[in-house]
Amino acid sequence: MSLDNIVSKIEGILRSKTKQGFVGIWEDEHKMIAAAHEARKAGCTKFDAITPFPMHAVDEAIGLKRSYIPWVTFIFGTAGCLFGIWFTWWTSAVDWPIIIGGKPMMSFPAFIPVIFECTILLAALSSVGALLFICGLPKVDPPVIDPDLTSHKFAIFVPEDDTFYDTQKLEKIFKDHGATDTRKTEF
Amino acid sequence: MGHSHDTPVDVKDPGTLQVSSKLKTLYSVLMAIGVLAFVVTLASGNAERAWHAYLIGLFYTVSLALGGLFLTSIHHLTRAGWSVNVRRFFEAFTSYLPWAAGMAIILLIFGAGHLYEWLHKEAVESDPLLQHKASYLNQTFFWIRTIGFFGLWIYFSRVLVNGSLKQDQTGDASISERLGKVAIPCILIFALSYSFFSVDTLMSLEPHWFSTIFGVYTFAGLFQSTIAFTILVIAYLTAKGRLNGFVNENHLHDLGKFLFAFTVFWAYIAFSQYMLIWYANLPEETIFFEPRSHGTWGYVSVALILFKFIVPFLALLPQWAKRSLNHLVAVSFLILIMQFVDLYWLVYPNVGKEHNLVFGITEVFVFLGFMGLFIFAVSRFLSKHSIVAYRDPRIAESMHHHVVY
Repeated sequence: MSLDNIVSKIEGILRSKTKQGFVGIWEDEHKMIAAAHEARKAGCTKFDAITPFPMHAVDEAIGLKRSYIPWVTFIFGTAGCLFGIWFTWWTSAVDWPIIIGGKPMMSFPAFIPVIFECTILLAALSSVGALLFICGLPKVDPPVIDPDLTSHKFAIFVPEDDTFYDTQKLEKIFKDHGATDTRKTEF
Repeated sequence: MGHSHDTPVDVKDPGTLQVSSKLKTLYSVLMAIGVLAFVVTLASGNAERAWHAYLIGLFYTVSLALGGLFLTSIHHLTRAGWSVNVRRFFEAFTSYLPWAAGMAIILLIFGAGHLYEWLHKEAVESDPLLQHKASYLNQTFFWIRTIGFFGLWIYFSRVLVNGSLKQDQTGDASISERLGKVAIPCILIFALSYSFFSVDTLMSLEPHWFSTIFGVYTFAGLFQSTIAFTILVIAYLTAKGRLNGFVNENHLHDLGKFLFAFTVFWAYIAFSQYMLIWYANLPEETIFFEPRSHGTWGYVSVALILFKFIVPFLALLPQWAKRSLNHLVAVSFLILIMQFVDLYWLVYPNVGKEHNLVFGITEVFVFLGFMGLFIFAVSRFLSKHSIVAYRDPRIAESMHHHVVY
């Protein structure tokens, strides 16, 4: 396989999978949140909000459920702990037993730091991994709806496969709540 | 994460706590059984046991009061917003300090001789190690330290609390600024003095032993138990309907995170102390753990690991657990009981010969007596002052506190 092939394959993986949909853009975040509540009432469930900074009320407004990352952390942390116990036992008491300081081969107090680190390592790496996986990161070419969305504007994007997708009704909801711009777009 | 709100909110005075007759009965009964158990044990010629029980009660409640002083200082130092609505409880805890000083002086005058080997001339004369430590471990310096520490603690708690109470009257925002500066020396002095206080009162029970991490160990217990007690106070006032709009599940979430963090911290410090001593295996250090790892004491040690770390750790791990008052109350009770067991574990192997486990009604009742006095002091403070520092300049942040993580 040539280098070009490999590069284009990686690029293909990193390229974002976009959806067609309908977007509303606001300059006032409170109006955007009100519109998000309204869109949810209308039946949207898969829509997303794009804001330049994290906002508390948004997760509630778009009905965001808690992610499953804590479970990944817990399960991998437990796995790391068990691995640490097995690994310290296997290396120090089975495969290459050496008496150190007159302590027993399997000395928990001495191994707890190692077991602890294994727990933390697996829990942390798996959490970051799960986060990247859920968010589809890294992306090389995220579509730009509006460059101001990273500075002072707020948007709601409703994908076309949402449970409620009626551009005319959505446009009315968005405009009624003070959207400065509404249009079909890709995200 | 805090909100920034430009418009100041006008918060109504939540008023003071009307101490119900039930609460009055509770602390009166607790104090009465404490005094009774103590006197009966003394009268039956068991002075050693009575004073060791007294020491546990004193150290436990002094730690709660100092936990209040420490958390108040941290609040001012970091200019925290979220904790404005719970800070008054921390301040209330410090009102116990003058009472504690009185109890400590009683201990110095009448009890210290029953507790500390190094106060006896004959013991020091026959022991080169104690002679070596005599420049620190001697009666005069011990008295100066103890009285000096209480003086400093009472002084700083007065300055911090009076400033906060004055703000209730005037609403003067510059007071918060000033208290932020007071908190700097306060926290430094707290760190040193509490560490020395722990060494003086607990570590010197076995004067041959030493552990440089000991002050951190007792501090971990202090933080854990103070947060647990704060949660109980909040639960009590919530049940009375007094905290509507002031303390919600977001404040609980943050307190729960503190409780969780310092449960882990306690285990971390306890293990750090144990592992180094276990590894080095030096006789002058292992004398502490040796009696605590056999027989009944061994079970107490295992119980500490299980119920002061593993059970609260798992119980506080999920997010919902830190946002549910009932759940937090159950965990807080467990932690407060285990804090007692922890102090019992530190103090009691020195009682009696052969390190046998001595336990009975005396230990429980004398401890409950101190708790009665502490509850009395806290409820008296809250019955005189608003239960929330409602004119703090950062109160808007606390009223709208919202935690997402």
